[in-house]
Amino acid sequence: MTRAGTVPARLRRYAPFTAASLQGLLQYRATFLINALTAATAVGVQVFLWRAVYAGRSGGMPGGYDLPHLTTYVLLAQVLGLMQANRVDEEVSGEVQRGDIAVSLLRPVSYPLARFAAGLPVSLTNATLVAVPVVVLYALLLPLSVPSPQGALLFGCSAALSLVIGFGVNLLVGLAGFVTTNIWGVRIVKDSVVAFFAGQVVPLALMPGPLAAVAQALPFQGMVDGPLRLLLGRYHGPLEAASILGVQLAWAAALSALAALAWRGAVRRVEVLGG
Amino acid sequence: MIVAENLVKDFRVHERGPGLLGSLGTLFSREHRLVRAVSGVSFEIPAGTKVAYIGANGAGKSTTVKMLTGIMTPTSGRALVAGLEPYRERRRNAANIGVVFGQRSQLWWDLPVPDSFRILRGIHDIPDAVYRRNMALYRDLLDLDALGNTPVRQLSLGQRMRAEVAASLVHDPKVVFLDEPTVGLDLVLKEAVRELVNRVNAELGTTVLLTSHDMGDIRAICDGVLVVDRGEVVHSGSVHELLRTADTRAVLFEHEGDPAAPTEAIALIEARLDGASATVVDGGRIRVEYPTGRWTSRQVMGLLLEHFDVTDCVAPEPDLESVLRRIYTGGRRPAPRPEAVG
Amino acid sequence: MRPVSTTVRYARLTWQLSAVSMHRLTEYRMDFLLGAGGLLLRVVCQVAVIGMVFRQAPEIAGWHYDQVLFLLGFSLLPRGLDRMFTDQLWILARKLVQNGEFFRYLIRPVHPLFSLLSERFLYPDGFGELLTGAGLVWYAADRLALTPDTAQLLLAPVLVLCGTLILASIKTLFASLAFWTTNSFPALYAANQLGDFSGYPLDLYHPSLRWLLTWLLPYAFTAYIPASYLLFGRAPLLPWLFAVTAGLVALALAVWHRGVDRYEMTGS
Repeated sequence: MTRAGTVPARLRRYAPFTAASLQGLLQYRATFLINALTAATAVGVQVFLWRAVYAGRSGGMPGGYDLPHLTTYVLLAQVLGLMQANRVDEEVSGEVQRGDIAVSLLRPVSYPLARFAAGLPVSLTNATLVAVPVVVLYALLLPLSVPSPQGALLFGCSAALSLVIGFGVNLLVGLAGFVTTNIWGVRIVKDSVVAFFAGQVVPLALMPGPLAAVAQALPFQGMVDGPLRLLLGRYHGPLEAASILGVQLAWAAALSALAALAWRGAVRRVEVLGG
Repeated sequence: MIVAENLVKDFRVHERGPGLLGSLGTLFSREHRLVRAVSGVSFEIPAGTKVAYIGANGAGKSTTVKMLTGIMTPTSGRALVAGLEPYRERRRNAANIGVVFGQRSQLWWDLPVPDSFRILRGIHDIPDAVYRRNMALYRDLLDLDALGNTPVRQLSLGQRMRAEVAASLVHDPKVVFLDEPTVGLDLVLKEAVRELVNRVNAELGTTVLLTSHDMGDIRAICDGVLVVDRGEVVHSGSVHELLRTADTRAVLFEHEGDPAAPTEAIALIEARLDGASATVVDGGRIRVEYPTGRWTSRQVMGLLLEHFDVTDCVAPEPDLESVLRRIYTGGRRPAPRPEAVG
Repeated sequence: MRPVSTTVRYARLTWQLSAVSMHRLTEYRMDFLLGAGGLLLRVVCQVAVIGMVFRQAPEIAGWHYDQVLFLLGFSLLPRGLDRMFTDQLWILARKLVQNGEFFRYLIRPVHPLFSLLSERFLYPDGFGELLTGAGLVWYAADRLALTPDTAQLLLAPVLVLCGTLILASIKTLFASLAFWTTNSFPALYAANQLGDFSGYPLDLYHPSLRWLLTWLLPYAFTAYIPASYLLFGRAPLLPWLFAVTAGLVALALAVWHRGVDRYEMTGS
């Protein structure tokens, strides 16, 4: 890796993957509209559900969330979900199944990094073209809680880390294509289990004790619950905020290492079995 | 058996510039133009014949085959296959035809090959005796059993193509359309596929329409050739007739003389035969290539016999590929201007 | 005479395809377990969410925990059946038009839609949904001490069947858009996603959304309305079920046929 010149020069090699991915995306302009619709309906279900809960309850706030807080959580949880939907799992498993993955070995770039470069524009396009309109729509319809500047700043850092975690998870799911032909099944598991433990459906604070403890111990909480706790100021003192970010950072590193390891295993397999 | 009358097919092509800006452009505009893929093709293929339908890439041959198989409706004109207009009575037509579409599979992707055949037997209502006879034949010639219980999506191209060819024939169709049927096959299996097609044609009178880039396929299977260029039939006849349109022929000969110094012989030939060229090929033989419009083979042979002590002489048939290449590149009329719309 | 022989023929083909698929099921046991297990896990997550919601309030929009579980379980029955028979439509939406492979359904002497569906017949993943759905319905009915009358018992399978037809029609409708857009996966996905609303009581939602789920994309008829009937013995909209099913099937087939015609014009 160190042989090949300066860091910016090396990074520039990944730009074509980003450009190609963006180009591919723009061909399906309908996708964005549909993604927006999907996210908006998902938020809709949750918001309606929780509004009914708040209407039917007898006092006290679930997990310390009042309705505007919870609505904000539910809304932004979908936004983070959109940003982590970077298609990497689909593309990688597709390449594995078609056997195209062998071709990737011929390129003078790191495959995981190339995938990251290709996934980034998907995330960012989803964030700008899809998430912004959805957030604006709900901001007009429902009372939301406005985050502090400090919260927003911490959220920004945390969201960036959540992208890395989400990428690692997706890459691992994609590489599962080497182990099973039913990638669809793996993705169903991922979509439901990861989203659940990430806190994309219900904040971790609302889960019963043992379940919340399990969720805290898994990397997925860094994808949604962590960033949103920082945004909504649901921590005590700077130390806890730092620890949320620290845990995310550790998981991001661990998952990257795991993905690299899995990739190395995949390469060995391709070399032996030819894909 | 197959009739095409003035078949025309136009496509709308959406303009898209190159690169990122180009695709950004498509976000905002939907300009398109009409491209004529097939322009008034007419031909007739009698029952029981084996015809190669050939043309350069983009000559409109796959579009024509799509119209003949009922997958595509012509813009104008008419096609008849076994008495039916394929695109009008698609399902009835489907019972009469078999299709191999090169790279694209028609098998059940998630199922092993034997299951695909079991289903084909059901949907075509193939009588037991016919099914058993055909499967025995395929096992024999194509070694279908070797494909085992692997789902089609996991087969190699060569393995899959064997199954595809067999699947196109299993219901004893009246007509079979073969598009690159031997792609991905080794020489032995290529031979086997060719033998299978020829045998089915001889025994059942199946009409064969072959499109292939493999000249070996064409020579081994077909007795007639239709050459399409720019969506029009530019040659129709037997393979032999096509070869006769070659504008150069060649003669190779050996002679008693100094094999170390052929320069003299070459100079002599090129001086006497205007427009011919002579070269030394391996084994010391001299190859004389001459324009057919200028010299007859009798004149050439006469000259050689007169001046050399000829010990061996061959006149190979002209090479089909170069004949075709000349048709594609030489016989080009100016391209019709695409009509701009919208 | 002809309709009868056609029906017999398709019934026989269906039988053959089922036999082939069952054979496959035993051969790829791992894949089957993964798909069915994945769907099971998804339901477990959904049940967990419902459980957490009911930790906060004993009753939501007039529904109790077990009733919501019953509704969720019932919604999985038509879903599972639909998935078992029509999942090839996803492939149509995603790539069959785009990569030109749709041609193969036009060169077989059976109805192209049947030919298409035949490629993922009795798709094993659907069993997961069907079984968890049945389990959930059973469990909830038991806890609610539900005692259905004869009419309810007789109607129950019909309700599931109509629900399946509605889901299959919605899928066909949106997958057929691929004939115009070459890739209708996002549209199909979004329509499918809206179906997630139907696992919960429609009373939760804003009236406009309720209207949409009843009359525009009638997911209400696949779970909320039949489940309400089975739970409470009343569902004012139930009489509409057959009309909605028939109308939607007709619409889906019409769009499909228009789409195939278009494919024949453009070949893409």
